[in-house]
Amino acid sequence: MKIPWSPLWGLYAREVLRTFRNPFVLLVTIVQPFMWLAFFGSSFSLLPKAELEALFGASNYIQFLLPGVLSTSMLSVGMFGSMSTIQDKRFGFMKRILITPTSKGTVFVTKALGSATRGLVQFPVMVAAALAFGVTFQLTPLEWAAWIVGLMLLATGFCSLFLAITARSTDWQTPGVVSNFITMPLMFASSALFGSSHFPAWMAAISSVNPITFSALLGRSFMLGTTTDWSYLGYLAIFAVAMLAIGYFVSSRWLRVE
Amino acid sequence: MTDTAIVVKNLSKVYGSGDRSVRALDHVNLAIPSGTVFGLLGPNGAGKTTLIKVLTDITDITEGDASVAGFDVRTQSMEVRARIGWVAAEVILDDDFTARENLWLQAKLQSLTNWESRAEDLLKFFSLTDRADDKVSHFSTGMRKKLEIALALLHQPLVIFMDEPTIGLDVSTRRMLWDIVTGVHKEFGVTVLLTTHYIEEADALCDRVAIIDQGRILAEGTPSELKARVKADIVQLETTEAIDPGKISALPGVQEVRAQGNDWMIRVAVADEFLPRLFAMVRTDQIRRITVEKPSLETVFLEVTGRRLGQEEPMRDVRKFYAQMRRARG
Repeated sequence: MKIPWSPLWGLYAREVLRTFRNPFVLLVTIVQPFMWLAFFGSSFSLLPKAELEALFGASNYIQFLLPGVLSTSMLSVGMFGSMSTIQDKRFGFMKRILITPTSKGTVFVTKALGSATRGLVQFPVMVAAALAFGVTFQLTPLEWAAWIVGLMLLATGFCSLFLAITARSTDWQTPGVVSNFITMPLMFASSALFGSSHFPAWMAAISSVNPITFSALLGRSFMLGTTTDWSYLGYLAIFAVAMLAIGYFVSSRWLRVE
Repeated sequence: MTDTAIVVKNLSKVYGSGDRSVRALDHVNLAIPSGTVFGLLGPNGAGKTTLIKVLTDITDITEGDASVAGFDVRTQSMEVRARIGWVAAEVILDDDFTARENLWLQAKLQSLTNWESRAEDLLKFFSLTDRADDKVSHFSTGMRKKLEIALALLHQPLVIFMDEPTIGLDVSTRRMLWDIVTGVHKEFGVTVLLTTHYIEEADALCDRVAIIDQGRILAEGTPSELKARVKADIVQLETTEAIDPGKISALPGVQEVRAQGNDWMIRVAVADEFLPRLFAMVRTDQIRRITVEKPSLETVFLEVTGRRLGQEEPMRDVRKFYAQMRRARG
């Protein structure tokens, strides 16, 4: 199969440029996880350091929380990807695209990767915010790279999942409803906010296969300087590739044009 | 490309299935010669846009065959899409982008190389060079339409589909667009399939016209050929009081009389011969209004459909039709 590089690049660039040219979207994308860090991250600020160490393995809860918040943020970027697709359907732009020799599969891939890239915009902002909250970073370049790659894989997987679920939809409300339905169970049944050692068995079982857990634990191992389980990166790659494949298949067959 | 740019054979399109199905196209046959401006004239909900959707592979064919630029729409859709341009009823551009960036994106979607000089030529042709680096959200409607046509021409298509290109435009912008369509056709030698429900637009722009109604092609030919089909003038008469229709029907040269209250539509062989006879029979104070229509696409439409364009039958109510379509599509 010949890879359509030209439309892939054109549509991907469009997705990314539209994000940077829309100050409101950019602001929300950045502020939302920042607020998580500020409000939720401060909830244990008065806890004695010894107890923090015992509970989270860190003297600063934000140091523990940052990889989790970044991971859960990748869920919401999937919603933005779906909304962007529905906007294209409703304003006729999807028709404009598909009257050219560009396939529905190509549109899907660019939406998924574009949204994932949008999600990564949060990374430098969150790192800077964490620094402001007194968090220290002692990561090697390889660890920085692995953390970013892990988040990109997670975002790609979730964006693909959202796009597959909403492929037939032209209703503005659908991505929000799907997001509400998916985000809460996946966020709480993961190690994003707390370790899973105190979870009931059924929640621990969900957490053990939850890609948010893999991403959070990967980043956390870099942040806390504990042993890294590199297989998490492999699981995240499998998740991203599987969701891309499913989304590609679903979109190629069922993506509505209008 | 072959001598025929678009061939449609026995084409039907049905949305939905069973009781909820809607037949939007009903065994349509067309052969559109290359290098012509071909008009599809019909009311809202007639099937014009559906035919464009089918020919551009936006929606699938239920029955029949279609080819565009020599390629089968069903089996060679990518080849078709590489050779067609599209101008939508509503202007569809990326408002976050400049005119030049919209052209860049279109070039990427068409996988073009060395497109820049062509883009500059088009910007110049449409007098958009000075605004090429402005966001299109700041453009007037006319400028947006021009840019949309430039996008459709960027990859040197063989066929351009223009779906109600002047709908919602003011008179001066519509006239400007007519000049553009004529200019584009002459300058770039492209085949244009244009849908419209404006009689005067079809008459002014099209080399050939097909009249479509309720998914069926009812007549096709050059505007002159179509007008020649109507071997009658239409006299529209409004009277102040009731008149015996038998008396009017009995006048020499009268072919048909239809009355609705005091409104009369009288088909006559030659209006110039009929009017003196009418005035001899009806007092002038009984006549509130009288108009004579020579054969036009309007009278052709009336002839083939039995009603005027824009005078929808209750069952063809546009909102009902589209609501039915939405239900059928699920």
